[in-house]
Amino acid sequence: MNAAADFARDRIAVTALAVLALILFAAFFAPFLSPQNPYDLAQLDLLDSKLAPGARAGAGFTYWLGTDDQGRDMLSGIFYGLRTSLAVGAISTLVALALGMAIGLVAAYAGGWVDALIMRLVDLQLSFPSILIALVLLAVAGQGVDKVVIALVVVQWAYYARTVRGTALVEKHKEYVDAARVMAFGAPRIVFRHILPNVLPPLIVVATVQVAHAIALEATLSFLGLGMPITEPSLGLLISNGFAHLISGRYWISFFPGIALLITIVAINLVGDRLRDVLNPRLASHYSA
Amino acid sequence: MTGNSVLKQVIVALAAWAACTLHAAELRIGLSADVTTMDPHFIAAQPNLTAQHHVFESLVHVDERGRSIPLLATWRTPDPLTWEFNLRKGVKFHDGTGLTAEDVVYSLERPLAITGSPGGFATYVKPIVAKQIVDRYTVRLKTAAPYGALLQDLAEVMIVSKKAATGATGADFDGGKAALGTGPYKLVKFSRGDRIELARNEEYWGGRLPWDKVTLRILPSDPVRTAALLAGDVDAIEHVPSADLAKLRARAGLKLAQAVSWRTILLHLDQGRDQPPGVLSKAGKPLERNPFKDARVRRALSKAINRRLIVERVMEGLGLPAGNVVSPSVFGHDPAVKADAYDPEGAKKLLAEAGYPDGFQLTLATPNNRYINDEQVAQAVAQMFSRVGIAAKVEAMPLSVYFGKARGGAFGVTLLGWGTLAADFALRSLAATADPGKGYGAWNWGGYANAGLDALVARALGTVDPAQREALARNASALAARELPFIPLHYQVVTWAMKSNLSYAARTDEFTFAHHFKPQ
Repeated sequence: MNAAADFARDRIAVTALAVLALILFAAFFAPFLSPQNPYDLAQLDLLDSKLAPGARAGAGFTYWLGTDDQGRDMLSGIFYGLRTSLAVGAISTLVALALGMAIGLVAAYAGGWVDALIMRLVDLQLSFPSILIALVLLAVAGQGVDKVVIALVVVQWAYYARTVRGTALVEKHKEYVDAARVMAFGAPRIVFRHILPNVLPPLIVVATVQVAHAIALEATLSFLGLGMPITEPSLGLLISNGFAHLISGRYWISFFPGIALLITIVAINLVGDRLRDVLNPRLASHYSA
Repeated sequence: MTGNSVLKQVIVALAAWAACTLHAAELRIGLSADVTTMDPHFIAAQPNLTAQHHVFESLVHVDERGRSIPLLATWRTPDPLTWEFNLRKGVKFHDGTGLTAEDVVYSLERPLAITGSPGGFATYVKPIVAKQIVDRYTVRLKTAAPYGALLQDLAEVMIVSKKAATGATGADFDGGKAALGTGPYKLVKFSRGDRIELARNEEYWGGRLPWDKVTLRILPSDPVRTAALLAGDVDAIEHVPSADLAKLRARAGLKLAQAVSWRTILLHLDQGRDQPPGVLSKAGKPLERNPFKDARVRRALSKAINRRLIVERVMEGLGLPAGNVVSPSVFGHDPAVKADAYDPEGAKKLLAEAGYPDGFQLTLATPNNRYINDEQVAQAVAQMFSRVGIAAKVEAMPLSVYFGKARGGAFGVTLLGWGTLAADFALRSLAATADPGKGYGAWNWGGYANAGLDALVARALGTVDPAQREALARNASALAARELPFIPLHYQVVTWAMKSNLSYAARTDEFTFAHHFKPQ
């Protein structure tokens, strides 16, 4: 049975995938779907600030999810915020994946003191809470999208390195690797052409879950005021902006971005879980419940 | 016994218990910022002073309208260079020793000996060139030149016990060993970041106070502070967040106290350097000259700001549009100076005249945890700048990072709030040409330099007669309003919320004093 059909057997995962597709669509086409560019200060109007969901804008459209304290349309803000969140999550995950994979493969293949050094570094990195590392980095480096991505890469690479090394150590002693060695292939060729394809499935699973983790971490950093610039809010910053208005009953400023963030993370996690089951039948038979 | 009578007994018991707790008279206040030390001479930061004023007192105090009043001493000026202070008799420190002229002289010298302070009290005692103990209760202070602002300076310097403070470290003050003042409350416990517990000074010279016990809770998060009041965890809070104002006003059992604060929120524009950071052409190229050096550009930016809208929407009423450097009740406010009216067309015209018909871009830096809705105000201003063709970005950061970077010249346009007792004071710090030796221009982040303004400020500060000094200070305010060394945005309105059985005389200087809360 092929993987796609196997995936499709779980209705929840299929629904999650559909939701995720919708979210990706909204994020990708945000400029066309949004009634307003929430990052263009000239399009915001302070006169329209803190309006409840359903209010009419001075510019003629309807604020379906209300506005925040700068007169920013929440729906547009969420579309653009998703864009930022997903882009930051995906880019940081890809970079961390590439970096972690390379380091993990080197550790596994080289062995000896190189392996020991790299793995102790990984242990050290993993022993710190990721939010702490990210906070310190951003406090030192300053704000901005690029710095958030760097912070997320630094926080994440160790997960991949460890996953790759574990799998690669097993693969390293298999006959096909011995065969490659016998044919006198160089180490890079053996590592990247032969071992790498065989360690990919577990990595894909880790990466999917880590995207969700990265998005949540970015939201946390933005919520704490250390992520995106305030004039270009991501979901975490939108939630943080609305936090001050919760007691006064203007729930929509925090509530809707919070829901958007929740749905995104849950959908990615559900898809990731199913991928794990599909790509790793052994695991599925042990843990399916 | 019927169920009903049991219920009645329970109610009676509860009522009796409630009456008892009321009788024990504890006051719990939610403060908005952390108190870092109980040493009153370490750093001149308002949150610290708030807590320290409960334990220590100064010679001169400030009333709720910002005017100098006698506290530990009355004064007279035999000649323009001499100030004679007569100490109140019968005042005792918390350890029972009496207050004498020696303690006063010691306390005025101690700030100069403090090392490692990021912003100490030396400025306030430097004008004093000689201190003379006339008798046990009389001190004579000399200044090198006539100096009218001495009383306001002395209001900042608290009097410590020479015996207790000699050789004491910060930890001795925080632990309570050296924190022996003459104030209405004794320090019981200082838990940094959490609370400060105080007990009534039973031998206070000012009479018996209504509260046996006072707890100052540190609640920096706005929603948390409001929630603590709503839940009854505290009896009063300072700095009511604007978002919660309507809710608290409508809530039965609570009431508000409000005053126009002494704090003016303003924008500094870097006019000192040729290439201010972040000030570029629309295409991102460096500009030929610094646009802020042109007074027309500064005026255009001021006209581009719709202060009334900011006050109504962003501040939700917690502000008044500003044109002066100081708010209406402060010494030296010129009532003839009005805030610039919102005039985007006029702003565009002025920009075109100055050679920027297509505008330029700038980055406005702001703290995000210091002033009422600071980062929201900055965003609103950026929005208004972009309406007149100036592409504005906002960079917001916590105060701890912001001040260091701003002082280091990292920004071209900066938001700052300034609260002080007099206009000449404010201008000395904000607009006078920077001169560290004289203590001038310490907060002149814009690098503005105008010899005429410097001279006027110096003349005002050197005038001992209050009426003459105020006239000069008003002239300086008016000159600043014409020249715009910085752009005033609004005066803050400061709000306290409390249970309705309490009352508080709202203070211009934003201070929260437990001993000024009265039961009703």
